[in-house]
Amino acid sequence: MRQPQLVKIVARKFRASIALLSTVACCASAQSAELPLQYNRDIHPILLENCFSCHGADSASRQADLRLDRREVAVDKKAIKPGDPDASEMIRRILSDDADEQMPPPVTKKKLTSAEKQTLARWIKEGANYEPHWSLIAPVRSPVPKIGNSWWVRNPIDSFVAARLEEAGLAPAPEADRRTLCRRVSLDLTGLPPKPELVEEFANDNDSDAYEHLVDKLLSSPKWGEHRGRYWLDAARYADTHGIHFDNYREMWSYRDWVIKAFNANMPFDEFTIENLAGDLLPNATLDQRLGSGFNRCNITTNEGGAIPEEYAVLYTRDRVETTSKVWMGLTAGCAVCHDHKFDPLSQKEFYQLAAFFNNTTQSPMDGNIQNTPPIVTVPLAADEKRWSEVAKEIPVAKGVMDARRNEARPAFDEWLAKAKPEDVAAEVPTADLDFLAPLDDDSNTIHYTLLGKPQTAKLPKTVEWRPGHVSAKAAYLNQGAVLTDKTVGDYDAKQPFSYAAWVKLPANDASGSVLARMDDRRDYRGWDMWVEGRRIGGHFIDSWPQNAMKIMTRDQLPADQWVHVAITYDGGSKAAGVHIFINGQPQPTNVIADALTGTLKNSVPFKIGQRNTTSPMSGATIQDVRVYSRQLSESEVASLAKLSLSAVVATPPEKRNEADLNSLYDWWLTTIDDSYRALSKNHETLVREQADIQARSTSGYVMQDKPDKAVAYILNRGEYDQRKDEVAPATPAFLPSFADDLPRNRLGLAKWLLRPENPLTARVTVNRFWSEVFGNGLVKTAGDFGVTGDLPCNQELLDWLAVDFRESGWDIKRLFKMMVMSATYRQSSITTPEKLEKDGENRLLSRGPRFRMDAEMVRDYALSASGLLSEKIGGPSVKPYQPPGVWEAVAMIGSNTRDYKQDTGDALYRRSMYTFWKRAAPPASMDVFNAPTREVCTMVRERTNTPLQALVTLNDPQFVEAARHLAQQAIEARQNTDRRINFIADRLIGRSLHPEELTIVRDTLKKFEAHYNASPDDASKLVTDGESKSDAKVPVPQLAAWTMVTNELMNLDEVLNK
Amino acid sequence: MNPFEEFRQNVTRRHFLSAGSHLLGTAALASLAPNALAAAATSPAAGLPKSLTHFAPKAKQVIYLHMVGGPPQQDLYDYKPVMDGWFDKDLPESVRMGQRLTTMTSGQARFPIAPSKYKFEQCGQSGMWVSEILPYMKKMVDDVVFIRSMHTDAINHEPAITLMQTGNQVTGRPCLGAWSSYGLGSLNENLPTFVVMVAKSTNTEQVQAISARLWSSGFLPGQHAGVSFRTAGDPILYINDPPGVSRDVRRASLDGVNALNELNFKQLHDPQTETRIQQYEMAYRMQSSVPDLTDIASEPESTYKMYGDAAKQPGTFANTALLARRMVERGVRFVQIYHNNWDTHGNVAGRLPMQCADVDQPCHALVQDLKQRGLLDETLVIWGGEFGRTVYSQGGLSHQNYGRDHHPRCFTMWMTGGGFKRGTILGETDDFSYNITKDPVHVRDFHATVLNQLGFDHDRFTYKYLGLDQKLTGVIPARVVHEVLS
Repeated sequence: MRQPQLVKIVARKFRASIALLSTVACCASAQSAELPLQYNRDIHPILLENCFSCHGADSASRQADLRLDRREVAVDKKAIKPGDPDASEMIRRILSDDADEQMPPPVTKKKLTSAEKQTLARWIKEGANYEPHWSLIAPVRSPVPKIGNSWWVRNPIDSFVAARLEEAGLAPAPEADRRTLCRRVSLDLTGLPPKPELVEEFANDNDSDAYEHLVDKLLSSPKWGEHRGRYWLDAARYADTHGIHFDNYREMWSYRDWVIKAFNANMPFDEFTIENLAGDLLPNATLDQRLGSGFNRCNITTNEGGAIPEEYAVLYTRDRVETTSKVWMGLTAGCAVCHDHKFDPLSQKEFYQLAAFFNNTTQSPMDGNIQNTPPIVTVPLAADEKRWSEVAKEIPVAKGVMDARRNEARPAFDEWLAKAKPEDVAAEVPTADLDFLAPLDDDSNTIHYTLLGKPQTAKLPKTVEWRPGHVSAKAAYLNQGAVLTDKTVGDYDAKQPFSYAAWVKLPANDASGSVLARMDDRRDYRGWDMWVEGRRIGGHFIDSWPQNAMKIMTRDQLPADQWVHVAITYDGGSKAAGVHIFINGQPQPTNVIADALTGTLKNSVPFKIGQRNTTSPMSGATIQDVRVYSRQLSESEVASLAKLSLSAVVATPPEKRNEADLNSLYDWWLTTIDDSYRALSKNHETLVREQADIQARSTSGYVMQDKPDKAVAYILNRGEYDQRKDEVAPATPAFLPSFADDLPRNRLGLAKWLLRPENPLTARVTVNRFWSEVFGNGLVKTAGDFGVTGDLPCNQELLDWLAVDFRESGWDIKRLFKMMVMSATYRQSSITTPEKLEKDGENRLLSRGPRFRMDAEMVRDYALSASGLLSEKIGGPSVKPYQPPGVWEAVAMIGSNTRDYKQDTGDALYRRSMYTFWKRAAPPASMDVFNAPTREVCTMVRERTNTPLQALVTLNDPQFVEAARHLAQQAIEARQNTDRRINFIADRLIGRSLHPEELTIVRDTLKKFEAHYNASPDDASKLVTDGESKSDAKVPVPQLAAWTMVTNELMNLDEVLNK
Repeated sequence: MNPFEEFRQNVTRRHFLSAGSHLLGTAALASLAPNALAAAATSPAAGLPKSLTHFAPKAKQVIYLHMVGGPPQQDLYDYKPVMDGWFDKDLPESVRMGQRLTTMTSGQARFPIAPSKYKFEQCGQSGMWVSEILPYMKKMVDDVVFIRSMHTDAINHEPAITLMQTGNQVTGRPCLGAWSSYGLGSLNENLPTFVVMVAKSTNTEQVQAISARLWSSGFLPGQHAGVSFRTAGDPILYINDPPGVSRDVRRASLDGVNALNELNFKQLHDPQTETRIQQYEMAYRMQSSVPDLTDIASEPESTYKMYGDAAKQPGTFANTALLARRMVERGVRFVQIYHNNWDTHGNVAGRLPMQCADVDQPCHALVQDLKQRGLLDETLVIWGGEFGRTVYSQGGLSHQNYGRDHHPRCFTMWMTGGGFKRGTILGETDDFSYNITKDPVHVRDFHATVLNQLGFDHDRFTYKYLGLDQKLTGVIPARVVHEVLS
């Protein structure tokens, strides 16, 4: 639970006033009166709460030019006269009763207690000594304290902890029994409960190193990397969708695999840092190193129609600065987006200097709603790796041969041209299988077109007008309606290859609509179309949208207000790879938005030029020469269509032909007439196709990639993207160690700067985060805020010792965890007492072992693992286990490819929760209830609430009920006796057998369950069929049902849900 | 003897590491009174939390009807007869004044004006002009206050709806419902404090994204997040017992869980264990309350006369409106309903009448229903979108049909109940329904006003986060719009 800030402040004030009272009372605690006040501990909290918002670091809100956070300013401005409170203006003002003079001003509604006033006065009397903020002084290896009870100490952690406990007059808790300890350490190192055999083995291992052996065994388990990686993914804000608006699928699970692999290899944290922040910038970066840089690609992105790219570019950079600051420096840099940080010494300028490190990306702000938003890398299957790199070399060679032919064939072309007639060019335009041709050049109230070779006419609709054309004088201008409607054209099945093409001129807006369509938009959008969206063009091939459909769009935008020829060819194979889009005869790079067509395209609505059957009119576009072929046109045929106007070039007298037209004609000639070029081109095409096929089987990795330009950013007035002020270059904040000259001014330099020994934050923030994974809270509770508003460390000496030790160990993560779990501190039982609750309510002093409700993923994995359902597979694409219907649909846009949750089957239902598909707009439902974050931004501390909705999950969610049934069945099969059955289940759920008192309770409920299910066999069959897996037919159904409920009961114990 | 030393002697006496032993209590623990520890448990269910109000609230509960996509104000409420003479003429630059546009239309060569094709009628004592496609609203203009001068900063849906709900364009802050839950606490022990329902629109041509982040608790404690109340399957996720588990079986299993947890508590004394026992009990009560809440078959036929037959169909706006009334009756503090598909970039004529038909009668019914039950005085009802729409047409324009792009500079909302004036109109816009000419109300002013009615001074209703006193209305000054309050 979040501790209200107020409590913290009161606590600090309490400390301060104790100190003060003691001087007055002059009694038992006279000792503390002799100790001078400490700025960070005693004074800073008072000033922070009451004074700094007007007299602090933020220049914008500063009053009277007075800073009380800087001694020299405060003294210079006469607010403080060291040694003389009576002559200090600050003291005069805080003691004043005059509303005009009083500080803090009454209007702020802040009020100093008299104890606080006296503390401030005493501090000035003692010399008004300031201290730098604790976290900004580089940690030194604190001396291990000498304590009275050294017998308790197992490693240095314990000395630091014991010193605090002795100070507080508290004793530690006894060491937890072996079974409890085995369960705890297994959960901490692998995220999973131990197998009963492991518990048994450890409980009976009399070797003095038994515990260490257990720890080593767990540290070497591949589950270790999954478990550590799971925490890291919160910091990295990893998810499987883009996050904003369409919230479409983002294919970047290769980063998750990379993280797991890194932890399992015990990659030192410095290397891990460098690859996360700048793997792409390492010299000769390997594929793996580049994948690490996916860290900065995990942020949420948009492709909302109408969005202004620059606005989002600024937001992404901002997110990257905030995330990096939080994760490595524990700084809440976001405050400085709009103004100087109110409390920490981070200026607005410095924020944008940090932003400059991240502001040089080649990434487009619009994610395209596609699964692979560049910059990306291809991660081929292991089997393809060899061919993948070979093909990459062969393609340029093949291209080179083509180019050579292009260079040498010009004389042959000139010879051909000398004799060519315009019809030679026109004759190359394909006519076979031309189902439909509408030139749309009529310029009259009647439209002429050809249907299956027969001339037809139609009446011009009122919405259409004739405007200047391109391949002929006039063309049809579309305005909220269709030009032409025909029932016969294009009623193709998905197995039918076909092609369609037209000359179009698009308006300069991001509107969307159908240029051509035979689509039943009232019935799941069945059919096909030529579709425009954000001035990209492509097509839909739909049985029912979006689950049974293909959608392919050009990657690049079409020019506005220019004529282009668009052709789409389809091979009838129901795969996006069989759809090609050509602009002006050139095949285009495309984005595949949907590729799941298995059904048909056939429908009963007419073909329409200018819209779908009832919706999506393409307004403001001009169109002519619409063609539909009932076969797949070849690339050269498409080229001929697009070069229709080239017949005019041939017709032009030679002296009047211009160079550009001639070059176009030459391109056409090479691809259409010249046999040798066509052969070479075919070879090239084969290689390109092979490359495409390998790519289709591979996955992608999202990576960072910088532009070659110098990185810059702009200070933005109030953080507004369109209010640029000064340009700034990459630099690090002045209050931190300087950025050495030998470091490059890019992300790689930044990463290395973070890792320098003089950097006060990185090692501290990192060990603190790891500490919190084990002990539930960090030594600094605000793990993402080490700034002046963050919590003070509850044991700074320990934190500093750990930080230095970690860095000097070579940033060895497994070593750090081993030290933590080997400590006596960790091994304590979690028994608490009223005294400890009072003096150490949150266990900050570590007067007992860690006990807290497990994270969402662990709660689910626990049930799966204990019941034997858990899949052992590591890594791979995300999966979709049980989720109630409608969770995604309720929020997703129609057309989002993460709208319909299609539950997986088999093994995929039982994977570890870190593999569950994470849709940002609707995070995994049962985990959401247990405080799993949305992964929209970096999360350093998860909340840990205790709510009725959580009870409903573990009681009723089919994945828990199925797991209970699975475990119940094993118990029934393995044991005959009731008590032994119960303990079979208990061994797996809590790692111990039940006490007699507990057994009595369970036996009693078992009787009730048996009575019910024997009397209501229908209920019993319903219960044992919840979930996909089948139960053993040999076990009587009522018996299985009753035991399922017993297991469900035990699975809901506080002891199960807590670590 | 010092505690550490005492402990040492205990450890020597007892062998805690011996195999098989489990959590033996120490001598000191034997005398422990469990109840004293239980009292230390912190729990929302352990008694209702105290409200943090600064003064007596006028509104106890809120029903917020959000029209996702941004309804076109000039086709519904902001009557602009002068525009009839401007058909297909360009929007004067003197009106637009260089305002940024979305990239949907910023490339358009022209900004031709599309007058509303709908007929308006002046209604009620207040003389509010209402469009012909809102026949029910015409009958209740005197029950509500219209603000025709709402304005916002964002021009795209995601940032605009986030601003409307959380006071900031960037995600991550608590929404109005979460703030209300945090500040006012719960009115009942069996149902969530803050409920969210997503209604289905009849037409789905241009449905916009909404996401769970809109009802998140942001930096407020997690229990203040909205609980999604679903229209298909379990109304609240996992509220129903598994198939084949009767209430008796569930009761027996909970008794078992609780008894075992009590034993565990006696050994470890973790206050969270006691909290858990209470939460399991609350879950059980919630399981019983929800079916009663959703049992709309018990409503008399007169209810369906008011709300329309659509109210019988789960998931319709009418159905959620009826459920909202039943929730308010049962003490749900804040009900948020989203109705989608108001994003009329094109085909206003084809779509808007269907959108209005979805909500017009149910809104009327909800207000009348609350009134007749004496609930309207204490229940604030809010209707509105995240921004308005442009007077100029996006895409093609004809007298029969047109499209409208997003417009942040003015839009219309209405409110009633909870101490708001009734039969009043605030704010005026220019002839183009483009700029506000009188009484502008920014989103943050709207938030300040709602908080005021809930008993909060928006400047003092804060939560400490990142060292700052965070508030719904943010750092730019906001004002309570007293003109609309009675």
